[in-house]
Amino acid sequence: MRVLGTRVGLLLLVLGAWELWAGRQDPLLYIPPSKVLPALVRVLRLEAYPTLPEHLWLTLVEVLVAYALAVGVGLGLGFLLGLPRHVGEIYEPILAGLYAIPSVVWYPSLMLFFGLGPASKIAFGFLLGFFPVVLAVLTGIRSVDRQLLTVARALGAGRGTCFVKVILPAMTGTLLAGLRAGLALTVVGVIVGEILGARAGLGYLINYAYGFLRTAEYAALAMVALTLVMAIDGVAALAEGRARRWAG
Amino acid sequence: MGGVGPRVMSGATRRLAQLGSVGLLVALWEAAVRLGWVDPLFVPAPSAVARALVAIGPEAAGLLGETLGKTLAAYALSVGLGVGLGLIIGTLRHLYDVLNPFLVALYAMPKILALPWILLLFGLGTAPAVVYGTLHGFFPICLLVVGGVRDVDPRLIVVARSMGATAWQVYWKVLLPAALPAVLAGLRLGMIFCLLGVLVVEMFGGIRGMGFLLSAMANAFRAAELFAATALVSLLSVGAVLLLESLNRRLSRWR
Repeated sequence: MRVLGTRVGLLLLVLGAWELWAGRQDPLLYIPPSKVLPALVRVLRLEAYPTLPEHLWLTLVEVLVAYALAVGVGLGLGFLLGLPRHVGEIYEPILAGLYAIPSVVWYPSLMLFFGLGPASKIAFGFLLGFFPVVLAVLTGIRSVDRQLLTVARALGAGRGTCFVKVILPAMTGTLLAGLRAGLALTVVGVIVGEILGARAGLGYLINYAYGFLRTAEYAALAMVALTLVMAIDGVAALAEGRARRWAG
Repeated sequence: MGGVGPRVMSGATRRLAQLGSVGLLVALWEAAVRLGWVDPLFVPAPSAVARALVAIGPEAAGLLGETLGKTLAAYALSVGLGVGLGLIIGTLRHLYDVLNPFLVALYAMPKILALPWILLLFGLGTAPAVVYGTLHGFFPICLLVVGGVRDVDPRLIVVARSMGATAWQVYWKVLLPAALPAVLAGLRLGMIFCLLGVLVVEMFGGIRGMGFLLSAMANAFRAAELFAATALVSLLSVGAVLLLESLNRRLSRWR
């Protein structure tokens, strides 16, 4: 309880110091909290940007499509490369090496292929979300206890049974962590894509407000985006918890 | 049913298979362009990319140096602040209890949302790139160090204290070596994140450096040059990570 109080106190202290500091400087540049709050009300009542729901919806659709692709391709490729043992050993280091390259390097090429529209955002979100999923499948498969498989096979389990009854349950933890990390990165990818260049979507709106130096509205829109990110992660956390309980 | 248990291939065979696969992919790509299966306007052949690499080489070298300079500045700041604050927050329980949720939240927050504001505050020069790169690098390093320090066996510290070690000695001789694996993981991750942050600022702000070159080539539809520049940045990143990993092995021996 005391810890919680200190946390809240610290947060209020930072906000207060920020308010004081910004009041003395240019409030347009330093965006004090007292300017953000009214802007947030204007944004949420759809007075500042009446089309906000459409942009929000587009961003959400981009995230969902990109994530569906990332999960589908990530799981498919992961099992394809991971189940035959030597194939996994060859390609896992290559995939891990590609993961070590800062992802944003690929974004200009995706813009070139897919243009300024939603397709390039979906492609970038997919790319970011794909790696954690495929790497989780590969490490998950590698972490399965071999003796379990030997026992299962000795007891007469076929390939399919081994997969469903032994491999899949044993890798659930790694897989779920990878799926959740993938979703978080997909969301980031879509928003980064929208901010770096788009004609619609929440990131576009943020960039638009910034471009016209409506800084308070920019901060309010950034808070809306942050709420969206946290809401998506909250849903993912719930789904992860449920899946873990189901897998035992 | 495979994919389970210890490795089945020798290192040399694996390396050969990896090189062979990449070589095959490049050959297929070249063939696909020559046979007209893909539009070279979007996907230029590897040979065209190699020619473009030579053509943009001199200009790119300077820009690469600029990006590298900003990244190293951001990295130095991230490592200094991240390791320093990580050691302090990790050892002081009350500080940890209060600050840790903030650190985790700030780490998880998409930094891109703060990018316009950073450009507004710091202008369009080197400073925003360094600040934004530091913002990316600091949190993972700090969190990993905090975690590493908290996992250190507290008996080690008690023993060191009882043998008369000063506070400084406890940090330098006990905590840092014991938390080293976490610190090294942070150093590796931090490098990639710093470079990422610098590139994003260069792309978004249109400020010089490789990020700017990448987006300029994409906007000008010069795919071969774009691919060449992408390859250069990728090589820089992989090179930096490999360098850190060899440093890793040496430091592990010191430990």
